[in-house]
Order: sequence, then structure tokens, then C-alpha cells
Amino acid sequence: MLNREPGDRAVPVLITLLVLGVLLMTFDVRSEGGGATGVLRSGVQTVVSPLQKAAAFVVNPVIEVVDSVSNLATLREENLALQAEVAELEAALIAVDDQLARFELLEQLYNLEESGSEIGRTVAGVFGQPDALSGALFIDKGSDDGITVGQPVLDTSGFVVATVQRVTSGSALIVPITVGPDAVAVTVGDQQGLLRPQVNSNTMRLEMIDATEPVFIGDRVLTSSASVRFPSGLPVGEVAADAAPSLDSLTTTVTPFADPEALRIVVVLAWPPDPVSAITSEEPEPSTTTTTSTTVPGSSTTSTEGG
Amino acid sequence: MRPRSLLALATLLLVAVILQTTLFSQTSIFIPDVVLFVVIMLAATRTRAEAVLGIAFLAGLVVDLLGSAVLGLRAITFAVVAYLAVRTRNRADIGRFTTGLWVGLLTLAGVLLLVTVGTLFGQSVLLGEGVVQRIILVPLANMVLGWIFGPMIVRLLDGDTTAFRYA
Repeated sequence: MLNREPGDRAVPVLITLLVLGVLLMTFDVRSEGGGATGVLRSGVQTVVSPLQKAAAFVVNPVIEVVDSVSNLATLREENLALQAEVAELEAALIAVDDQLARFELLEQLYNLEESGSEIGRTVAGVFGQPDALSGALFIDKGSDDGITVGQPVLDTSGFVVATVQRVTSGSALIVPITVGPDAVAVTVGDQQGLLRPQVNSNTMRLEMIDATEPVFIGDRVLTSSASVRFPSGLPVGEVAADAAPSLDSLTTTVTPFADPEALRIVVVLAWPPDPVSAITSEEPEPSTTTTTSTTVPGSSTTSTEGG
Repeated sequence: MRPRSLLALATLLLVAVILQTTLFSQTSIFIPDVVLFVVIMLAATRTRAEAVLGIAFLAGLVVDLLGSAVLGLRAITFAVVAYLAVRTRNRADIGRFTTGLWVGLLTLAGVLLLVTVGTLFGQSVLLGEGVVQRIILVPLANMVLGWIFGPMIVRLLDGDTTAFRYA
């Protein structure tokens, strides 16, 4: 048996550390993640992220192999379904190509130019989480790729999933909308509302003030033009329970389309647009730059298009 | 602590942080808190109690700096768990299973404290989908780690091959 009694100074040291911790928490809350604590966070993340990426480079293929083996039984069916989906999408692509050609022809006929309001997109891979309890996620692109704090994050299907909370040169931390802390301004039909995260749930709570019409299961929930965090019209989820207005307000639950737990690749939108770009786009010869980065296991490509 | 032990501890904590934020962030059932596990095992070594508390606080602070929750939350939690571990470490080396159980119970205390203090400070990022499941799974995973790797880590940090031999 061990016989190691703690020293007499353990309690005073613990109390000192608790006081220091509470002071840190208060300071961090007051500075809203900015200031000295923000710099400190970015510094630590900058140091650790190369090691994390190296570890993810080794670990991710192993996890994928384990996942594949465990899902072997369903892979054949999934493969057949995907082949059918590919055939449908190829047919749709031909139709879109045809429409695009007609669109370009019309643009030439009417001397139309790009508006300069196109939103840049950066594709990034998810490589981890800060700890076992946190809902936040690390992505492998950072300020070097044009990502800044507050930008919206979509999944590969274009569904709203998160916002960027912190950025270093080579990585960023994103916080899913399902764990907050901020509400998302949304619309259901013509009605405006706020979508808030719920404790221990993958659904979100929809609150509508001045509601005039009921909402029904399956109604699509889109980002609102009143939102300062997301471009309007992006799909967020669907109403999970019928609800009618009561005293001008309405509350129901919404199931988000995107599942943060299953995220492997995300798309970060360069939004809101850079004010400088907005000004230059009004000049006679607009100059629009869109950066698109694509990550696949083992390789990374970046292309820049200018117009 | 001797410089060699200090180097071993720093390396262990760094590896724990890297593994936590990469490998164990993608597993759905085995989800340990590796950094907290290392802190608990540090308390079972001959390291002075005050040093254990300080190192636990700093380890928590590093995890806080990497995460999105308020700074100091895990630092406080890890320090309290380290104190509990220091107070109860005499019971940790009765047997291998007891070591695992000790680690599991301390982790449970830590996770509950983290969620409670996090809720008081409005940290919704800790309370997302599956939080109840995680409150159970994290201590269980740490218990398994304690059972398998606990004695080895104590021997490594103490530089004493006879430690935790359960004689």
C-alpha cells in the first residue's frame, strides 16, 4: 500500500488555484473570447495544430478501415444505391450543362457581367474535437485559406451546420448550431423566428413571435434575410412537430438536416462579403476572386479563379 | 520531480492532448478523457501534492485554450479532481481492478463537476446531443485505461519499477 499523505499546503494551493480559475473564467467571459485570452488561445492552437494534423494523418485511415470493416454488410446495398444515384445525377448534370450553355449565350447577347457578390467557398476536413464533452470541431483550414471568425459553415449537401469561432493560420475551430451559444434567425414560409439549441438533444427549438399561421411537420426551415450570421435562404432543417400560434407566438421543435457528429468534410462560406470587394465590384471593371480548396485524403489542391 | 520524470510527464500530457483531440474524438463508444486520466495517475505517484495540483491546473488550462468553452473551466475541474485523487491515492494500489475503479470514480466526479460548472457559466457547447451518455461512457473508458495502463504510467513517472505491483 502507498503511504503518501498530502502536504499541509495542498488545501491553500487548491483554494488559490480555484480563485485563479474563477478569475480567468470571469476575465474570459468579460472579454468575450477576445483580448489576451484570444491571443493565448490562437497561440496554443497554432503550436498544437501541426501535431494534431500529423496525428490525424495517421489515425484517420485506421479509423476509416475499422468503420469500413464494421459496415461491410451494408456496403454492397449502399454501393448499388449510390450507382443508381450517380446515374440520376449524371442525367441531371447534362440538363444543367445545357441550361448553363444557354445562360452563357444569353449573358453574351445582353452583355451581362458578374455582380461581384458571389460567395467564396473553402472546403475543409474535420480532424478532431477539443475533448470528450465538447461539441466543437477542429477543421484543417485556417486564415491562410481565407477563413475568418464568424463565417458560416455548411455540410457537403449545403445544409447549415456551424459557425467559425476561432482561427489560426492552418486550422480553425467551428461550433455547430446545435450546441449554440447563439440563436439562428430563420424563416418558415413567410414567418420569421429564432432557432435555439437544446440540452442533450439533436433537435432545436423554434420560437416565433408575431406568428399568424401554424407550421406543420416537414415544413422547411431556411436562414432568414434578418440573419447577420448566415446568408439568407440556406436550408437549416425541417419542422418536427405541428404547432399553432398561441397569443401571437409559436414554439416547436426543428430537426436540423446536418448531423455534426457525422461531419468529415465541411464548406466554409466567405460571408459576409468583404466590404472592399463590395466596393470594387461597383467599379467599371469588376474583379471577383473566389478561392476553392479541396481536400482529399493524402492530398490537397487549391485553385483561384478571377473574373 | 526529477528532470527525467518531468520530461516524461510533459511528453505524456502532450501525447494525451493530441490523442484526445484526434483519435478519441472520432470514436463513438470508447471515449476516454485521456488528459484527465494522466492527471489522476500523476496523483498516484510520489510527486508532491502541491505540484500535482499545479500541473493538473495547467493541463486543464491547455485543454481550455484548445477548446471553445470558457477559459479556466477545465483548469478548475482538473485541480479539484487532482485534489480528490491526492486525498484518496492510498486506496489506489490495492489491486489492478481497484486502480481502474478509482480512476473511473474520479473521472465521474470530474465530468459531473465540469457539466455542473459549465451549466452555471452557460456553456451550451458542453451540453449537446448525448451529454448524458457521455457522462457515463467517459468514466467507463477511463476506468479501462486505468486498469490497463495505470500502473505502467505510475512506474514511468516515478522511475520506480516496483510501484503498483500489488504485493
